[in-house]
Amino acid sequence: MTTSERVVELLNQAALKPSDEKLTVLKQVQELIINKDPSLLDNFLDEMIAFQTDKSIEVRKFVIGFIEEACKRDNELLLRLIANLNMLLKDESVNVVKKAILTLTQLYKVTLQCLVRSKTLSDMQEACWDLVTQMKGDVLSSLDSENDGIRTHAIKFTESLIITLSPRTSDSDTPKRQEGDISLDKVPKDHSYIRYDVLCEEGKSALDKLLKFMVHPAISSINLTTALGSLATIARQRPMFMSEVVQAYETLHANLPPTLAKSQVSSVRKNLKLHLVAVLKHPCSLEFQGQISTLLLDLGMPQSEITRFTPEGREQRKRPRHEQYTEGKKVKNATDKEPIEDDEDKEEPAPNSAPKPSAPPVAQSAIDVTAEFLHPLLTPENVANLVLISMVYLPDVMPASFQATYTPVESAGKDAQIKHLARLMATQMTAAGIGPGLEQRKAREEDVGKEEDNDEDSVSKDRLIKRKLPPMGLGQAISVVGGYSDKVSSDAAPATKRLPEPIVPTAQTKLSAAGGRKKVFRLSDVVQPLSEAQIDQLTSKAVKRILHSEKAIAQSGMSHVRVKLLSRLVTQFEGMMKEEVLEFILADIRSRSELAFSLLYQEYNTYLSQLPTGLLDSYDQCLYTLLSSLQEKPEQRDGLFTKLVLEAPLITESALEVIRRYCEDDSRVYLGMTTLKELIIKRPSRQFQYLHVLLDLSSHEKEKVRTTALAFLKRMYEKDQLRDYIEKFALTYMQLLVHPNPPSLLFGADKDTEVAAPWTEETVRQCLFLYLSLLPLNHQLVHELASVYTEAIADIKRSVLRAIEQPIRGMGMNSPELLLLVENCPKGAETLVTRCLHILTDKVPPSPELVERVRDLYQKRVPDVRFLIPVINGLEKNEVIQALPKLIKLNPIVVKEVFNRLLGTQHSEGSSSVSPLTPGDLLIALHNIDSTKCDMKSIIKATNLCFGEKNVYTSEVLAVVMQQLMEQSPLPMLLMRTVIQSLTMYPRLIGFVMNILSRLILKQVWKYPKVWEGFVKCCQRTRPQSYSVLLQLPAAQLTSVFERCPELREPLFHHVQSYTPHQQAHIPNSIMAVLEAKKKPEPKLVQPVMEEESFCHDAHCLIIATMQRNVVRERERERPLQQQQRG
Amino acid sequence: MPSHPLRVAVVCSSNQNRSMEAHNFLSKRGFDVRSFGTGTHVKLPGPAPDKPNVYDFRTTYEQMYSDLVRKDKELYTQNGILHMLERNKRIKSKPERFQNCKDRFDLVITCEERVYDQVLEDLSSREQETLQPVHVINVDIQDNHEEATLGAFLICELCQCIQHSDDMENEMDELIQEFEDKSNRPFLHTVCFY
Repeated sequence: MTTSERVVELLNQAALKPSDEKLTVLKQVQELIINKDPSLLDNFLDEMIAFQTDKSIEVRKFVIGFIEEACKRDNELLLRLIANLNMLLKDESVNVVKKAILTLTQLYKVTLQCLVRSKTLSDMQEACWDLVTQMKGDVLSSLDSENDGIRTHAIKFTESLIITLSPRTSDSDTPKRQEGDISLDKVPKDHSYIRYDVLCEEGKSALDKLLKFMVHPAISSINLTTALGSLATIARQRPMFMSEVVQAYETLHANLPPTLAKSQVSSVRKNLKLHLVAVLKHPCSLEFQGQISTLLLDLGMPQSEITRFTPEGREQRKRPRHEQYTEGKKVKNATDKEPIEDDEDKEEPAPNSAPKPSAPPVAQSAIDVTAEFLHPLLTPENVANLVLISMVYLPDVMPASFQATYTPVESAGKDAQIKHLARLMATQMTAAGIGPGLEQRKAREEDVGKEEDNDEDSVSKDRLIKRKLPPMGLGQAISVVGGYSDKVSSDAAPATKRLPEPIVPTAQTKLSAAGGRKKVFRLSDVVQPLSEAQIDQLTSKAVKRILHSEKAIAQSGMSHVRVKLLSRLVTQFEGMMKEEVLEFILADIRSRSELAFSLLYQEYNTYLSQLPTGLLDSYDQCLYTLLSSLQEKPEQRDGLFTKLVLEAPLITESALEVIRRYCEDDSRVYLGMTTLKELIIKRPSRQFQYLHVLLDLSSHEKEKVRTTALAFLKRMYEKDQLRDYIEKFALTYMQLLVHPNPPSLLFGADKDTEVAAPWTEETVRQCLFLYLSLLPLNHQLVHELASVYTEAIADIKRSVLRAIEQPIRGMGMNSPELLLLVENCPKGAETLVTRCLHILTDKVPPSPELVERVRDLYQKRVPDVRFLIPVINGLEKNEVIQALPKLIKLNPIVVKEVFNRLLGTQHSEGSSSVSPLTPGDLLIALHNIDSTKCDMKSIIKATNLCFGEKNVYTSEVLAVVMQQLMEQSPLPMLLMRTVIQSLTMYPRLIGFVMNILSRLILKQVWKYPKVWEGFVKCCQRTRPQSYSVLLQLPAAQLTSVFERCPELREPLFHHVQSYTPHQQAHIPNSIMAVLEAKKKPEPKLVQPVMEEESFCHDAHCLIIATMQRNVVRERERERPLQQQQRG
Repeated sequence: MPSHPLRVAVVCSSNQNRSMEAHNFLSKRGFDVRSFGTGTHVKLPGPAPDKPNVYDFRTTYEQMYSDLVRKDKELYTQNGILHMLERNKRIKSKPERFQNCKDRFDLVITCEERVYDQVLEDLSSREQETLQPVHVINVDIQDNHEEATLGAFLICELCQCIQHSDDMENEMDELIQEFEDKSNRPFLHTVCFY
């Protein structure tokens, strides 16, 4: 098997194997085609490179290694492979990128060397170089990478680049292995596309970059360590940069990055020490021995050891600075003058580089200037003052870096130490941007700027000028601590000839100053500002997504986070989002109430956080929207409205308005008012505001709303803290009644107020609702009503009287306040009091106290008999009888009522009412009313009322009444009327009536003309039963009867004739004579007695009458017995 | 996971106790580990503090073992030296000096500051070639059996964490800070380049 066949086989295997085995196989291939048989390399190159897209990181790294090996083996391959390396340099894996950087570090040198040596010129080579240059730039800029490892590799690349792009000199301490490496001095100055000056410039700017990178305050400890090492390497291999390196070390030592941890500080210091020693060992360090040993002392290295590392002074080697410069200038002048010479001699670079500065020129930086300025000022006194002042600013805790770096000051007060101190202070001052050094530099910078403008054009022409740039540029870089850079100072080195040319373009200064900080990631650098509209759109979309991811989030159990997020977002940003979120909530408020609350609280929170200038608008709007949509939703049972109201941190005016509307909704009155009540009770600070709403509702036009409100108010009225307010409100409202027209207050704000609108029943009631419902709870209020009543117009009075029934009844007649009212009865309030009395006694009999008050009132102050009516049943019998004449003269309806009361016919259940008068008594009293006090007509009407009550005036009652009346003397005028009436009502009383009539005869009834008249009438009506009565009359009276009623005689005569003879014998002759006399009138006998006036004066008759009455009485005593026996 | 197994070196002064304990431990956990000493000689405790047993790095553990058995078997059994040598024999034949080893590592762990300094000095004195980074971490461990065991635990844990980090160099700083807090001891850490 040939090697070629073997390679083919291995490659085939590799394609199929898993990555770790693949690697082994590929390594074998590499060995075969690079070392064993390089002729095969070209053949299989493509196959190998194809693995650069392998998914295994290791394989890709291997490919990079292979590229490196292959290129080193055959430089021509570079042209083909460099593009592949470029691809891998942008690999997604950091490990691959790191490997690629390492390889580029090597291949950069290889490429340069190869291209420089190449005799032929080709586009491909040039393109290759361009690409390498570009890759170099990429790696340099990855000093700002976010990845620590990549930065580390970039530093190492930079280090190598600096060394390559600077000339090697005789005192360069070059490692053996790198003897053959290319360096600037080997680059011809006349190469067609590799330009010496450009490379030189690139090398310097790379160092610049590295130095800037190192002073970055947030540098990581590994990067710092790496950079320190790199600087040491640079200083040793290119002593011309030693000054910059030492200065950088110095700066670092004085300003260790504050981000380092304690142990990192120790690590870094250890490294610093190590590298300082390495630099110190270099023979060129002589010039810097002072600085280095001070640093080492500070780092804790004993003097003896320092001395050990210090190389022997080789004074002769060291050339004065100005000489170097002169020499450098000479060289440059030489080359400048004779550029063609270089072209001729290929070996020229070596001698050219030899005279290059062996020791770097010392550029006096701002620090130096400031240090020199400070040095004489550091007297013991000044230092002591400085220490005292700075005591104030000492931190409480010793910073880690200080603790680690502090070493006791050994040589305090000696000149060296003072110098050191001055330098330290100068470093800090320069960093802070103060000090004479900076001022000088600024002044110089301005000069330079001016010159630069002029020389702008010449810069590109004059390469040599550019070549002189580096030391100064570097000096500037090193002194940068806080963004200030320094330029060359010629004052400190008078020997040095100041170069006339401007050196550093201002633009470069700025760039590098900015570069010092570019490691910090700033969002603003990488993002483009969005337009206002875009921002709005994006935010609203983001919020929408959160909003509509409800279910997904709920499933993951993080809804609370979503809710919080939403509410915060929405409150922070103005605009449409708020409405959207609210709409979303309202779409299903029941399940999204949490969000609603969160939003609400967040709004409130925002308001609070902006106090005292914050506006409630946003919160108000949120609450209002939520509440009103809840209010407008038709069905709503779970009390979310209540919850929202009660849990809202603040109820705004508009929210209160919504609550009010809610309460006015027929179907939610109760819930609404319950909520309102809770508010009143649980938010004491604003309870009156809420209470006012409820109070307003208490006169609402809808009855349901009103009654509910009143019910709630009554309950609340029991609470002391609310009592006064409610009461005041009620009274204020009631007192509106004194106005002649209803005030506009009574009409809702929406209604147009008509000034002249008259009081209506409606408006009057509106003023009274609350008051009247409170009245039973607080009787004292009744007096207010009375005083309002007296002032009110008649219409209102009537309405009031109608309205008060319920509450007055509720108060009851035992209410002391009510009794007081009756007692005091303000003038003008009589009707009111009467009405009260009526209401009180409507269903129940009056209490003695009430009667007492009324009686007092009646007797002492207002003799209006109408007061008595309500309490009439509470009065004494004689009082009633006394009042009767007045009473029956009243309006018939009132009289009827009085009788109803007296007769107990008023109310069916009124059995408890015990009238002071029995019905009989009443009737009798009526009969006995003095006709001078009352007209007969009224009395008759009154008796008629009695007869109307058939249930009360039964035949028995009437019989008793008649009996008693009959026994009175004189006989009451209306007696016979009553008798006839009774007989009409109860015909079965006929027997009793006959008896009455008979007895009236005994009482000589004919002496009372009216009664007599009635008697005759009665007889006439009751015939034939009355015949026997008539027969008992004396003849004269019988005659009188017949005269009045002639039609009686005939039947009576016949009646007597039908008697048995025996019976007829009992009839006196005189009677018979009257009967038979037919039409023989005997007016002379009868006439005188008919005259009422003569009656009293006829003493004779009187005696007879008396005698007869006595007889009658005797008979009467026997009669009942007989009647009873008969019955 | 890094793409290739971490190449670890554990270094103490004599490549006997601390580095070998960690070596033992790490190799059992499957690390690609080697151990070294940095001293000029290999020193083992002798009958008195000022009379150590001194060997050069070419002496095998076996030879040391027989030498000590011959000298005072009881003493060296008692202080555990023989036991230690027994173990070391099983791991490798003889101690190695770090400065003499030109192999490359990803991670060098030293067991005391002096050793760390020596390693650093050695590494930085070498000529740079590939510029491959090597992280050097110092974990202070007292030179006795117990501390060596505890130290080995710590080292092993540290190595595992580094091995498992996705991007070792990027996470190293934080990782070490974490370990410092956890173990309550300072770790020196630096990076060198081959």
